Amino acid sequence: MLSQFEYIKPLVLDEALTFLAEHEQTYILAGGTDLIIMLNKNMIDAKYILDVKSIPDLDVFKFTEGEGLEIGANVTVNELVESDVVQSKYRALCEAASVLATEQLRNRATLVGNICNASPGADLPPSLLIYDATVKIASAKGERSVPLRTFFTGVKKTLLNKDELVVSVFLPDPGKQDNSIYLRQTRLRGHDLSTVGVACRLNGDGKVAIAINAVAITPLLLTDLSDQLNAKGLSEESILWASEEIKKHIKPITDVRASKEYRSHMAGILLKRCLGQLTGKEV
Amino acid sequence: MAQKAENKACAMTTAHAESMERRVRLTCRVNGQFVVEDIDPTMLLLHFLRDRLKLFGTKEACGEGECGACTVIMNGRPVTSCLVLAIEAEGSEITTVEGLAKNGELSILQQEFIELDALQCGFCTPGMLMSARALLDRNPDPTDDDIKEAMSGNLCRCTGYRQIFDAVKKAAKREREELKRS
Ligand code: FES
Ligand code: FES
Repeated sequence: MLSQFEYIKPLVLDEALTFLAEHEQTYILAGGTDLIIMLNKNMIDAKYILDVKSIPDLDVFKFTEGEGLEIGANVTVNELVESDVVQSKYRALCEAASVLATEQLRNRATLVGNICNASPGADLPPSLLIYDATVKIASAKGERSVPLRTFFTGVKKTLLNKDELVVSVFLPDPGKQDNSIYLRQTRLRGHDLSTVGVACRLNGDGKVAIAINAVAITPLLLTDLSDQLNAKGLSEESILWASEEIKKHIKPITDVRASKEYRSHMAGILLKRCLGQLTGKEV
Repeated sequence: MAQKAENKACAMTTAHAESMERRVRLTCRVNGQFVVEDIDPTMLLLHFLRDRLKLFGTKEACGEGECGACTVIMNGRPVTSCLVLAIEAEGSEITTVEGLAKNGELSILQQEFIELDALQCGFCTPGMLMSARALLDRNPDPTDDDIKEAMSGNLCRCTGYRQIFDAVKKAAKREREELKRS
């Protein structure tokens, strides 16, 4: 490790925000499963590592009936997997969390870290996008909330400013009749990001939301596609139509994990499977 | 902007370069022993255990969270110690493979690894044992799928995994019977 950083561990949020505002080359450490790899490989030159794990404001993990679930920056992926609320109310998120990396990494990695790292192939974003997640961001100047769908701006890029940190992610209460699913294709279970991953949600009004990862520079919420599908109504034909149509809404590339043709093809297959399982229709 | 330094990282040469200037105090418990050490903040938990405490059971292979050879149990949960800064272990309770045997006697889990030939070169074994230990601590009666899932973050180049799976399964059974775990 070439970075000779100093380690800072504030106990209150304000202290962390002030530090961030005043010090360049500060990197935020929560789970560390991405950051420490970057440090080890000398991909970043860190002057300060700001460990946020002792800030109680970031521990929040609370569901309020009729409102929703707030997931603080310190909540680990395994805490999501083990949560009754996530299991019963946000199934796709539970499924995505439980296939993310390995047991060891899930014990450290955080949901907020997963979105801040902004990998196009990250597992959690699709399952958050279908629930219209919002991101609560704080800086020494104040707080703001942005929809997750505007949060990602490119490969490993977000709209976060240097002096900002993500406090939590909020998912509205989906209500009772809601169901969702996350399916992904990978080369090796437990040792890879997804080659393609699709999350679908069927809400109480019978409307569908669709999100996908690893087929564009950011995870995508496919609103146009789901609007068109919802206008047609859910049937075997419309599901088959959507699983072809989805290919027009994505821009996959060829990389070490798969060719763009394969990704396109699998996007269709996974969408078909998701919608088939959610609606109980045989497609 | 962060400067992109030349990538010289290689699993065998990541040994820690310690600075004498920027020391931080680390207080934790390792295998039941109270430990207080002044360390460089850039030191990894893996290197702290090996270089400082001379606990060489914990192994380093990939150095990036992929292989599980460096797995230790931190506050009851298995973690890859190559992705944890030593200083993050402040106040925590760590168990390494050295902490499994009690009073000079190997644990049931270790006995079954030997009995069922769950190791050949042995490099992955400490990590395997720690993942298995953490699993049996949280779930003394795991299903086959639970075992596979819990062990899937640990790679082995030798055994083909079957023997490891069998050893964990048999150890679970013996622990339930002999230690009345449930
Ligand atoms: S050395 Fe830590 S996971 Fe491979
Ligand atoms: S016994 Fe050699 S790597 Fe597992």
